[in-house]
Amino acid sequence: MTGGHRRILVVEDDPETAGQLIEQLTTSGYWVDLASSGAEALRHGAANDYAVITIDRMLPDFDGIAVMRQLRDDGIAAPFLIISALGEVDDKVRGLRAGGDDYLVKPFSFLELLARLEALGRRSETIAKETILRVGDLAIDLISRTASRRGKEILLLPREFQLLEYLVRNEDRIVSRAMLLQHVWDLHFDPSTNIIDVYVGRLRRKVDDLQAYPLIHTVRGVGYCLRAPD
Amino acid sequence: MLLTKTLSSSTFKQALIAIGTFGVIASAILIYVYVSTNSYVRNRTDRAIATEYMSLHNIYDRAGRDGVIASIRERMTDKSFADNLYLLTDPSLSMLAGNLRDWPAAAAAATTGWTEFRAIDSLPEAATVPLVRATTGILPNGDRLLVGRDISDIDGFTAQIKTAMILIIALIFVVAGVVSILVTRRTVGRIEQINATSRAIMQSGLDKRIPLRGSNDEWDRVAENLNSMLDRIEALMGEVKQVSDNVAHDLRTPLTRMRGRLEKALHNSRIADHDQALISDTITDLDAVLRIFTSITRIAHIETNARKGAFRTVNLAEIAGEVVELYDAAAEQNGTSLVLAGDCEVVVTGDRDLLFDAVANLVDNAIKHGRVGGHVVVKVENLEGGAVTSITDDGPGIPADQHQRVFKRFYRLEQSRYAPGNGLGLSLVAAVANLHGARIEMLDNAPGLKFKLWFSPPPLPV
Repeated sequence: MTGGHRRILVVEDDPETAGQLIEQLTTSGYWVDLASSGAEALRHGAANDYAVITIDRMLPDFDGIAVMRQLRDDGIAAPFLIISALGEVDDKVRGLRAGGDDYLVKPFSFLELLARLEALGRRSETIAKETILRVGDLAIDLISRTASRRGKEILLLPREFQLLEYLVRNEDRIVSRAMLLQHVWDLHFDPSTNIIDVYVGRLRRKVDDLQAYPLIHTVRGVGYCLRAPD
Repeated sequence: MLLTKTLSSSTFKQALIAIGTFGVIASAILIYVYVSTNSYVRNRTDRAIATEYMSLHNIYDRAGRDGVIASIRERMTDKSFADNLYLLTDPSLSMLAGNLRDWPAAAAAATTGWTEFRAIDSLPEAATVPLVRATTGILPNGDRLLVGRDISDIDGFTAQIKTAMILIIALIFVVAGVVSILVTRRTVGRIEQINATSRAIMQSGLDKRIPLRGSNDEWDRVAENLNSMLDRIEALMGEVKQVSDNVAHDLRTPLTRMRGRLEKALHNSRIADHDQALISDTITDLDAVLRIFTSITRIAHIETNARKGAFRTVNLAEIAGEVVELYDAAAEQNGTSLVLAGDCEVVVTGDRDLLFDAVANLVDNAIKHGRVGGHVVVKVENLEGGAVTSITDDGPGIPADQHQRVFKRFYRLEQSRYAPGNGLGLSLVAAVANLHGARIEMLDNAPGLKFKLWFSPPPLPV
């Protein structure tokens, strides 16, 4: 990633939240610009090239969605992450339909935000047109929908393959439970049980049991990360 | 105060309009009756006068002036002609015969035709001044002839009718006015009673009710309906209070833990490992609080029906299949066999996310509260009564007397109070079912529990 692509615009009107975001994002290696109103967001958004723009729904002057639309109309291609206290499924769907790329409900865990930012920032990179993806000794074939480690095939259900594919595509990045639900199951709510953990647990047994090293790692409080040892 | 309210009420205004309309119509009818009676009576008189005039004229034709004078004199003495008045004069208006002394001033100008006058100077023996209607004409020799009749009694008769009619019209307005005030007062009184109760409710509380009169009229029905609405509101308020008590309890427990932990940490010395564990535990508790919070707002949101706009045609069997697939791992971990059965294509109109959530909650419950190593069957079928999803387990089940209560927010059976969960799952299922117009049925599976979601009303149980 180039320096320009580590640059993020945070649109947030609450000074304390904004301060926390800037501090933590800076620590994580991002350049952060802050806009505390819709007008400021429009000015910053048009002037700079951002990897991701995070936008609050309720701003003092405009609705975040209106700001987002305006920036889109101005030809800004940067992905938008909507951060809002309006957490109902239809709020999310409305936000996504209006041109948002992802949606995060307040309050959120910072690791969740980071995971989503990483995933969004990656979108602007070119996605390789490979048909076989490899992480360590794991290989998944996107055409035949099969996975294997050290050449030995792992028997997976279709949904388990989808889950593994999503983890592989986000190799080395943290993927939250909500992101898995959203991208693998197309569900926009949290079933508020540990069902995802149980499901990933079974996938992990199939992928990691009796292998030289584990690939699927639990990130406490957030989700998972698929990573090969260095 | 009641009178002011009565007079300014819309009922009274409507009554006034009705009275006005009715009064005008009644007056018009009475006036018509008066006018036609009057003209009928006058026509009869006029005909009699005209006949008398013609007969005198005929006498002139036969016997000349003297014949006429003789006839007039003869008639003046005849009792049956007592009401008649005659006057024959020469062309210079000096009297030749008759019981009228002078040619009436009213008829002087007009030489022929009808006239009406007060015969002031006629008939000295008459007690009152009679009203006379007469016809006048000129005989061929230039003499003038007047034949008339005293119409005082006819006039009196019509005047009496007129007075009676005016009195009747006045009476109609007065009686209608008084009656409408009384009726309006009754209506206003009932409304005032309802208003007073509403004010009392606003001021003191929901325990007041509108008194019924037992008259079984529409006012009693309005009062009854308002009362049952108040009962419903009171029950809902009670439920809300119950829920907020439960919310308070369920939120207080983790909040108390967090507070205690932080307070202890504040007074203790900083130990990195301890602090790490403390912060992570606190975040876990906070997440639990947030989850409860989210669930409550989510249920409230579903209950407002706002989601109906996003309804699409969805395949219930496909949704159930996805749920079963998602929970497959959890069932496996529990040693439970989770099976999908029934039809492959069961179409309903609804919201995929919500239906998924509802079915997922029921499956989650079935696995959690079912028997370890038991069987959970999710069945989706097209039945005659509509689409049905049933979730069956073979665990301990729920006592029949508690079937309805489990849908209450935060309700948890005593034995599962310490199992994970927040007691909101079935409230969510109920809210989703309600939104989709679906009916929930809980059946004893002996052993175990069977939940049925009917997406169209099933045939009524006999």
